Amino acid sequence: MDMIAGKIKLTSKTVDQSMNPLDVLERETRLSARDVTVHYGDKQALFGISIDIPDRAVTSFIGPSGCGKSTFLRCINRMNDTIEGARVGGSIKLDGDDVYDPNLDVVELRARVGMVFQKPNPFPKSIYENVAYGPKIHGLARSRTDLDEIVVSSLRKAGLFEEVKDRLNEPGTSLSGGQQQRLCIARAIAVGPQVILMDEPCSALDPIATAIIEELIDELRENYTIVIVTHSMQQAARVSQKTAFFHLGKLIEEGVTEDIFTNPEHKQTQDYIMGRIG
Amino acid sequence: MTDTLLSAASPGSRNREQVRKGLRRRHRSEVLFRWAGILSIVAALGFVAILFGMILSKGMPSFWQSTLHLEAYFDPELIEGGPQPQREDSNSDADYQRAYSNWQRAVTLSNWNTVVETAIRAQVPEFEIETGDLLDLVTTAARFQLRDQYFANPDVLGQTMPVSILGSANTDNWLKGTIDRSQPDARQQLAPETRQLADQFLEQGIIRFDFAGHIFTNVDSRSAPASAGLAGAFMGSLYMMMVVIVLAVPIGVASAVYLEEFAPKNRWTDLIEVNINNLAAVPSIVFGLLGAAVFINYFGLPRSAPIVGGLVLTLMTLPTIIIATRSSLRAVPPSLRQAALGLGASRNQTVFHHVLPMTFPGILTATIIGVAQALGETAPLLLIGMSAFIANIPSSPMDSATALPVQIYLWQGNENRNFFEARTSAAIIVLLGLMLMLNAIAIFLRSRLEKRA
Repeated sequence: MDMIAGKIKLTSKTVDQSMNPLDVLERETRLSARDVTVHYGDKQALFGISIDIPDRAVTSFIGPSGCGKSTFLRCINRMNDTIEGARVGGSIKLDGDDVYDPNLDVVELRARVGMVFQKPNPFPKSIYENVAYGPKIHGLARSRTDLDEIVVSSLRKAGLFEEVKDRLNEPGTSLSGGQQQRLCIARAIAVGPQVILMDEPCSALDPIATAIIEELIDELRENYTIVIVTHSMQQAARVSQKTAFFHLGKLIEEGVTEDIFTNPEHKQTQDYIMGRIG
Repeated sequence: MTDTLLSAASPGSRNREQVRKGLRRRHRSEVLFRWAGILSIVAALGFVAILFGMILSKGMPSFWQSTLHLEAYFDPELIEGGPQPQREDSNSDADYQRAYSNWQRAVTLSNWNTVVETAIRAQVPEFEIETGDLLDLVTTAARFQLRDQYFANPDVLGQTMPVSILGSANTDNWLKGTIDRSQPDARQQLAPETRQLADQFLEQGIIRFDFAGHIFTNVDSRSAPASAGLAGAFMGSLYMMMVVIVLAVPIGVASAVYLEEFAPKNRWTDLIEVNINNLAAVPSIVFGLLGAAVFINYFGLPRSAPIVGGLVLTLMTLPTIIIATRSSLRAVPPSLRQAALGLGASRNQTVFHHVLPMTFPGILTATIIGVAQALGETAPLLLIGMSAFIANIPSSPMDSATALPVQIYLWQGNENRNFFEARTSAAIIVLLGLMLMLNAIAIFLRSRLEKRA
């Protein structure tokens, strides 16, 4: 019980933000989107989204269900390609490379932009195989020992290694929900991405597992650009430095998280934060 | 306050009364439905039991066939060719070969029927019976049986050896009572003396009902129905199943994977999908016509050959495999595909590393159901000539052969009804046994694969 309390306390400490909130404005821009539109068949889902996402910080997308925040997230690593009838317009640049450039290989893009999904979705294989799969297909490990090293360090970074080190050969699906989600994060890290996209990573988890994941996100911020979609405003406030508020497919407001939550410019943002729309 | 509570309670209790009134009716319909379900299951099981009971009770006796246990004297005066030529140093290979084949021919042309006759007569020296009637007692293949035994061990020349000779189909009928024993002589297949002798032998224990292993090792025979077997048909079916598995599984799985995972959804793929479903509904005899027209007439493949049967059955099995594979692909959760794609796996890698392995149990079940269906298919095989009488075990899929279900059809139509009625059931038992075995393998493999996943 003490341990759990400690974890939560630790997390609440991180909410105090070790980073000066205004630092985020000085960070380099890793991703920049301009006038991004998405159509699903005849239905337009996103209307001209333009936003800059800072390097090595957590940016959160908030907004009511169906506001297009997940849709926009999926534009960044082109997961929308897999949806029948989805069309994306505008431009998204990752370090100056156009993500939608026809010459850009989507496989390479996804190696640079990792993704963690709403529901933990480990492969029905061993814990080791789950983490090793990405490096294997991208040819990142030259030898077995290389691969072992990548797996162990990825599991360490995801804060899972100590819990699973004795059962790396057990199936990933035998872990608890929170552990599975951290396994998915380890799996994404193993490929060595610059950006990690997280689509409501805690919505299927209990509060304790959520606290652990939030703490992990805060640690990962030092090395990765993280974009997180969340339903929970508290979560956005706790983990992110920059927040963007979406409503009905439009980006209403974006800015430093503290500003958005304490002093929103738009009435819609204020209404959402106050719980009047949702 | 109390007033409001009371007035709030009374509509509630009225609701409860309404619900209670309906409850009886609801329970009754539930009980009725449950009984209807149990009744239909009992009916279905009853029919299956009757079917199996009839087939087993009819077919099992024919696995034990009347066999004569005799002492045969390998008479040097009857068996020509003398002792087997021995290889001597002075002989050249060609000389020896010539001597050997001459000896073989002489032995084959010997009067083996007399050897058989002598062996039978030795048991009942006093009994008066004509040679023809006497030989009716045993299968016409008896002489070949003794000859083969002699070839296997030529040292018995001039000795008396115990032999077991298969009784003829008519002897079997008479002793088992599958022919009406009260019929007058004119309507009996065997002469009165032969029947008397058969009864006497059975009593003396000279005729016993031995397990008829030759059903599994012999080929079909029209001249000696008693020694007819299923080996040819079994091999024919086996070759066809091999062709079906080798062709239908890769083609079916590949089409299903392409249609489900790669093909764009447009009018063409819709058309293909509708046609695959239509293909599954095409009567099997149409496939036989197609096989005769395309594979035999156009491509010039041999008639009656398992290769053609296999190709036709492949066409029939394809839709089963495609449809089942597609539905098991659809059952793979999309989150698995997203996980792989999100890591940067290509579509190919996603399908082959993650999606397809999840569908193995489904594909396996579909394959075995498809193969079992093909195994029992008769109509299309009749049209490509597999109902021909073939007295050889096919040594390759290009040889003429017949198949188990076709063999059942042929035996069912044989003129010696009394004998082949039971034989037909025996063949059905073999076919059913084979299918049950296939299903058992399917269940075993599926449970193992599912445990691993």
